[in-house]
Amino acid sequence: MSKKLSLLLAIVLIASAVLSACTPTDSKPDCSKPEVFCVGLVTDVGKIDDKSFNQSTWEGVKQAEKDLGAKVQYIETTDSKDYAKNIATFADAKYDVVVTVGFALGEATVAAAKKYPDVKFIGVDQTQSETIPNLAGLIFPEDQAGFLVGALAAQMTKTGKVGAVLGTDAVPAVWRFGEGFRAGAMYIKPDIEINVVYHNDVGFDKTFSDPEWGKTTAIAMIDKQVDIIFGAGGKTGNGALLGAAEKGVYAIGVDTDQYYTVPEAQKVLLSSAMKQLTPGTFDLIKLAKEGKFPGGNFTGKCGYAPYHDLDSKVPAEVKTKMEELQKGLIDGSLQTNVAPVKP
Amino acid sequence: MEWKRFGFIAFIIVALFSIVVLIGQARDPIPTIIISMAATTISVATPLTLGALSGVFSERAGVVNIGIEGMMLTSAFFGWFGAIYFNTILKFEAMPSLILGVVIAVLAGALMGLLHAALSITFKVDQVIGGTVINILAIGITGFFNRQLFFEKNSIFGGNVPHAPGTLPSVGQVPFLANVPILSNLQPIAILAIVLVFISTFVLFRTRWGLRTRAVGEHPRAADTVGINVSFMRYVNVIISGCLAGLAGAYFTLESVPSFEPLMTNGRGFISLAAMIFGNWTPLGAWAASLVFGAAQALQINLQFYRELIPPSLSLLQYPYIVGLTPYILTMLILTGIIGRTVSPAADGQPYEK
Repeated sequence: MSKKLSLLLAIVLIASAVLSACTPTDSKPDCSKPEVFCVGLVTDVGKIDDKSFNQSTWEGVKQAEKDLGAKVQYIETTDSKDYAKNIATFADAKYDVVVTVGFALGEATVAAAKKYPDVKFIGVDQTQSETIPNLAGLIFPEDQAGFLVGALAAQMTKTGKVGAVLGTDAVPAVWRFGEGFRAGAMYIKPDIEINVVYHNDVGFDKTFSDPEWGKTTAIAMIDKQVDIIFGAGGKTGNGALLGAAEKGVYAIGVDTDQYYTVPEAQKVLLSSAMKQLTPGTFDLIKLAKEGKFPGGNFTGKCGYAPYHDLDSKVPAEVKTKMEELQKGLIDGSLQTNVAPVKP
Repeated sequence: MEWKRFGFIAFIIVALFSIVVLIGQARDPIPTIIISMAATTISVATPLTLGALSGVFSERAGVVNIGIEGMMLTSAFFGWFGAIYFNTILKFEAMPSLILGVVIAVLAGALMGLLHAALSITFKVDQVIGGTVINILAIGITGFFNRQLFFEKNSIFGGNVPHAPGTLPSVGQVPFLANVPILSNLQPIAILAIVLVFISTFVLFRTRWGLRTRAVGEHPRAADTVGINVSFMRYVNVIISGCLAGLAGAYFTLESVPSFEPLMTNGRGFISLAAMIFGNWTPLGAWAASLVFGAAQALQINLQFYRELIPPSLSLLQYPYIVGLTPYILTMLILTGIIGRTVSPAADGQPYEK
């Protein structure tokens, strides 16, 4: 009996392991040939078509397919323990460029860059503390994007209270968004009340995939008359946007134009604090193809998304002010004064 | 009933609320703070309460159920899928789709419960292993179907995630209840969870069925001698346990947010088990314990709101996750027997051999 049973259990376990691991199987190009330019992308835990981080980066890679004739492929990571393995899959197949998406892959990418000196690595959102010639960290001035939407929130609030619901501040990008938001709001109205809440109480694997927490937190803020919610932290932040939509207060998204990623929140979505992931990724791939690959850190651009449905609700002087602020941030005449990482 | 334990739990909840009120009163009126804290507490506690009830039914009948997490996750997915399927493909209105979604979630939970029952009662597998199998299986099947049904090109939705029909409406939609604080924010599953606490208490301690359930959990041989069908009682209670976990799963995707994320239950099934132990395997105790966990979560969120107002002498509170440890430390304290003894059902986890 027990033998049959362990067999049954073994089958169930194997089946679930097989079911949970999904690797695309297309015909493989021969990347070892010098004339074939191959670009591989390893996602953070999540889907390639998340309409957010993974997808925007992948679009940069696909642009390289179109404009540079690159052969492109991706691997979706299903478990954070597989980062190194997934990166090695591309590196062993002699891919020319490997893009790894997200802060969490930082360590695995550094290790791989040292192990495979002939492969160029692009680490999206990975700040490099030392310069490795074949590794470029694509980083963004998130504090500027946060500053912009913070300033927007401060100009649009009626109650004088604004809130931000974020993932963990141990991720520098999240910290810069949150504190940039704070700085931007204070810049417009020094006496404004700002609620910034980070989801610090869980691990890296959970802090960005907890929409229920995000929504609960947003509603707790709205109960205290906060009338603008900035949600920044993957699905956790999306939960906050949904909470704002349910209560009918303005919401501000993050990373990409979330008008397209959270359709339920369209009617309240004021703007999004955006990282220009697609052009940043494409630029680096292009530099790699041209043999001008820069090691170290490569800074992309930030901005804010269009107002979409709420365009008519945003007064003209606010729009002018926003453009002014963005110009100031880009030419350096305006500083956010946000520390790059949590002190 | 153990008043000592309840007094202790009530004291903890009041203490957690008081900390926030004392710090936050400089900025917000006290009733606003209390109402907001209570709303957060109740919504965080909802899946925990249902999960803990799920554990109570299973373990009172003598079957350890650590698969609650997996049951919740499976139901969260299938309930969500069901609601979208009825809404998008069969063109049902939003409301009936959501209700059918809840029904499907509960059925999915029941099926997982049946699997756990079969493993642990018929096949007499070590029940902890059986529960682990369920947790791993849940991650696999939800991840697989999520991808196949929503993201593959030839899926029934054609590769696009269709709009979810929304979430279950709150009580505030009923005209004359719209302005009642706390109550107007409650949604159906949150209310159902509280009602089920009292129903479960009645069923377990006031009915013949409850007596028999407890008998097979305490001393199955004695129960067998007087003609109670031990296997049958255990099967049904484990399936009830699955249904309750299923309702908890429905909370995530049909009541809280209209979306499914892989692993979105985030360990709440395990926290439910802690709540069940904290509450000494009684429905009322489990509910009270879930509220402690909810209040701790509300405290964490609110302390971040009022970060600037925290006096320097209490700077420890600036680290909300330290405060977040409160319920776990309390659970351990309770297990040491400081506040009344915690007694698990005597035959909990033991397969019954005739």
